[in-house]
Amino acid sequence: MPRAVLRRDRVIALLPNPISDSALEDALFASKAEVEAQDADSLTISATPDRLDLLSEGGLALHLQGVTGVASGVPRYAPARARRLVAEIEVDPSVDPVRPAIAGFVVRAPDDAGLDTGTLEEAVRFQELIHATVGRDRRAASLGIYPLDRLVPPFRYAAEPLDAVSFVPLDGSVEIPADRFFRDHPMAARYGPLGRSGNRCLTLRDAEGTILSLPPILNGRAGGEARPGDRRLFIESTGVRDRPVRESLGLLSVVFVARRWTVEPVAVRGPGPLAGDGRSIVTSHEIVLPSSTLQGLAGVRYPPAEVRRRLEQVRLSVRARSGGWCVEAPPWRPDLLTAVDAAEEVILAQALRPEDGIVPPSRTRGRRLPETLFRRRFASALLGLGFAAPFTSILVSEATVRRVPGATPIRLVNPVSAEFAYVRDRLLLSHMEVLGRNTRHGYPQRFAEVAPVIVRDASAEPGAATRYHAGAILAQEGAGFADAASLADYLLRTVDAGSVREPAEVPGTISGRSARVRVAGEPVGEVGEIRPEVLAGIGVPVPVAWMELDLTALGPLLGGPRATH
Amino acid sequence: MLAALRSSADLPVEEAELAARLALGIDVVRGSLQRLRAKHLVVLNEEPEAIRLLTARGASAAKVGLPERRFLDALDRHGGALTPEEAAAEGIDGEERSAAIGILRRRGLLEDGVPFRRRGASAAGPDLLPEEVVLKQVAGGEEEVDEAIASALERRGLLRTERRSIKRWAPSEEGRRIALPAEGEEAIGALTPDLLASGGWQGRRFRPYDVRAPVPFLTGARPNPYVAWLEEFEEILIGLGFEQAEGPLLETEFWNNDVLFMPQDHPARSIHDALSVDAIQGHPPPADLLARVAAVHEGRPMPGAAEPIGPGWGGRYDPAIAARPVLRSQTTAVSARFLARRPRPPVRMFSIDRNFRREEVDARHGIEFGQCEGILAEEGTSVRDLVGMFRELAEAIGIRELKIRPSYFPFTEPSIEGYVRHPRHGWMEIFPGGMFRPEVTGPLEVEVPVAAWGIGITRLALVALGLSDLRELFADDLDALRGGS
Repeated sequence: MPRAVLRRDRVIALLPNPISDSALEDALFASKAEVEAQDADSLTISATPDRLDLLSEGGLALHLQGVTGVASGVPRYAPARARRLVAEIEVDPSVDPVRPAIAGFVVRAPDDAGLDTGTLEEAVRFQELIHATVGRDRRAASLGIYPLDRLVPPFRYAAEPLDAVSFVPLDGSVEIPADRFFRDHPMAARYGPLGRSGNRCLTLRDAEGTILSLPPILNGRAGGEARPGDRRLFIESTGVRDRPVRESLGLLSVVFVARRWTVEPVAVRGPGPLAGDGRSIVTSHEIVLPSSTLQGLAGVRYPPAEVRRRLEQVRLSVRARSGGWCVEAPPWRPDLLTAVDAAEEVILAQALRPEDGIVPPSRTRGRRLPETLFRRRFASALLGLGFAAPFTSILVSEATVRRVPGATPIRLVNPVSAEFAYVRDRLLLSHMEVLGRNTRHGYPQRFAEVAPVIVRDASAEPGAATRYHAGAILAQEGAGFADAASLADYLLRTVDAGSVREPAEVPGTISGRSARVRVAGEPVGEVGEIRPEVLAGIGVPVPVAWMELDLTALGPLLGGPRATH
Repeated sequence: MLAALRSSADLPVEEAELAARLALGIDVVRGSLQRLRAKHLVVLNEEPEAIRLLTARGASAAKVGLPERRFLDALDRHGGALTPEEAAAEGIDGEERSAAIGILRRRGLLEDGVPFRRRGASAAGPDLLPEEVVLKQVAGGEEEVDEAIASALERRGLLRTERRSIKRWAPSEEGRRIALPAEGEEAIGALTPDLLASGGWQGRRFRPYDVRAPVPFLTGARPNPYVAWLEEFEEILIGLGFEQAEGPLLETEFWNNDVLFMPQDHPARSIHDALSVDAIQGHPPPADLLARVAAVHEGRPMPGAAEPIGPGWGGRYDPAIAARPVLRSQTTAVSARFLARRPRPPVRMFSIDRNFRREEVDARHGIEFGQCEGILAEEGTSVRDLVGMFRELAEAIGIRELKIRPSYFPFTEPSIEGYVRHPRHGWMEIFPGGMFRPEVTGPLEVEVPVAAWGIGITRLALVALGLSDLRELFADDLDALRGGS
């Protein structure tokens, strides 16, 4: 779960009273956030990925205000009277192949003191959290914060030739040409490819040509450095799709809304998925919550006043409409998509108690799959014969695959380690590993397992099929082909299957001492003696006989069910 | 042997004495005594003993004299005074000389200084030095010797101590009590087919066995404890009316993610979290289902519908991603496949199976992990049924304390997490679940609400089996599995 370390004083400052450690934990019990650690200065909070707003001091405080009853509903953040648009973004068609989506808004301080250091730091820290999550490390969306009072709108978003761009990076003091920035700057090394295509790079400039930033890499010093005392900030986000851009802006706005800043739209002119007057970025969206949906999911009918109280407590606003409610979800709540999301807010606003649960009488008959019952017969028979029962991983090591000549299991593209690098197509591979890990114990060693393997199968939907095998190993002096074959014969007899053997070349077995087993003409298994070089490779000092039956193939031949997948 | 012991007047008896009395070899006697002891018929009285013996140097000194005696003799030959050179010429040199001088000075027989002079008038030394007395005693096999001097001689490498035990035997309580066969009567040992056939056992005595004696160590096979536990858990679900389902372990991304409304750019789907396979080509799902899922992802109305189910994830849905194979990361894929077969409600389904994630292996994490998936689909199913089921399952494994918190999964809303309090491990997140979103049930054409959960069954098994390390579940130590060691 995403987590953030918040400044405790900045959360407390927005509450009427300080909150004790245990009261804070209680207040968050019915929320999607959790206190992982706390001390006098900081709160380490984790939250589910749909509630990132709770990972800012502002967002957390808004929630706590609601839970503790000092405020309710969506806080007002629109200017008291409608203003003229204070800024516009003009989008040049050149950005389309690189990063077409852009949108923004303006925040205005509630008083003349303007921006304070704490709020600026909070915004920057939360901005980075948004980049790492919704922004998918800036690929999907990245935010920029700028001092509007020191800039001249409208702003222009374009992909310009590199040689037409030079600027002072936010962390620098001298102007450098864009090509040098892309070559030398560490931020360009990391995010450069996102803001550049061929010999063009993305720029955001004001009407006088001052560079605000090279999205999504770095702000410029002249136009991109917000400072304490700034009274109006322009905030934008760019990305390849509209949704992450929208979400990132909405989330960041909560930092300012919680401190009574107002939020004003910024129009986007030109092409791009977010072109328009920009109001949809800053206004709440409405979700219709039919009472039938709420009642269906909750399993209980809430009185209308209770629905209202619960929604307002979690800082949503609501008005009644015919057959239900209209829920107002502010921009920092992008998790609220449809009626079910609004219903969840009502149902979980207060903790569900275990005693709220009901266990309805069952109108169904429980049962195992016939396939698994079939497999259990083999597992029991093998257990009855005294074969020990390991539970092995379906992944096998590269070394094992190399040791068994002719084995061709499916390889993982991105294994965690060489130890778990292939998917077994025969239990044999796992069982060689079991033998190798047990050489310190005495012989005879006999073990067996009924478990899945994955084999290439172009006709299967995923391109390979999961099949269940019964595999057995006899490692002891004198063990040989006949032991393996008689075991296969016996197991097949237990399900009344008559079988025949035919010579076959089987990976890992001695040529001339391995066979394929057929039932009703279909291959259902293999038996053989393991090659001495395989045994030498794993340090086994006695001969090993092996048999493996494909129960997924065998079942249907006996009139059983085919696999359901 | 037992008879001989029982008739001994002086107990316990030494092995050698028994051997002599019965005219048997010592090895035979020892073997018989050990067998009697295994049957608890005799008791062994073993006393440790330390015996001093001459070393090779000690034996030589006993013959030619100790260095100090030879030094005294040389002094006599040289008129009571001896230079170091003269001593060397007499064959007393080096370490031996130092030892001799030291001892003679301590005994007051030699002046300080060089050349060495005898102290006192006596021309001849004492008859026997204490060291000579002890050496002689040890050579003669005497046990009572002057301990201080013997230790000093041992330090000089002239004596050594050998520790051994003297074994003396006596009959045990039971050995005195049991009846011995009369002379000439032979008790029956093993009951042979011959004896049975001939009736030769009739009227004869059976030799009693020691029923407490150790027996051969047997190992066999027993059910794998993890598998057995999973089957027990399955029984609980079957008892609650759930039917079992299964799905492929290698899945397409469609079934693993898309149909579950997981956005195609979800971090859990990245190459860092999901395990991909080489050179396998999957196929897309049936076209109509794919079209419905694509519409839901993009926020469009499904074919034939007027309104979109929801705003979706935006962007363009990529059917090529849908066909990519991936090792299944959640058993929820099994539920989706099950629902796609349009079972007639009411439905209760479970699946306990393996899933995979790209994770470093340690005590708490594994690449392979088990999940217990369950769904309830019926008119009127609500989040309260889910909570009730959590409570039921917790109680079935003996846990009474449960609490419910909000949670998040892309495919359920509401989403909840059930925590249980374990006596040893405290509060543990065990029951994640929720109500399938309309974005999931819509494309699958399921018309009743579906409650779903995916319990981390591996973690639950660890707790139930009292293990602390995940890797122990995959243990393949044959001794442990056979019930040996």
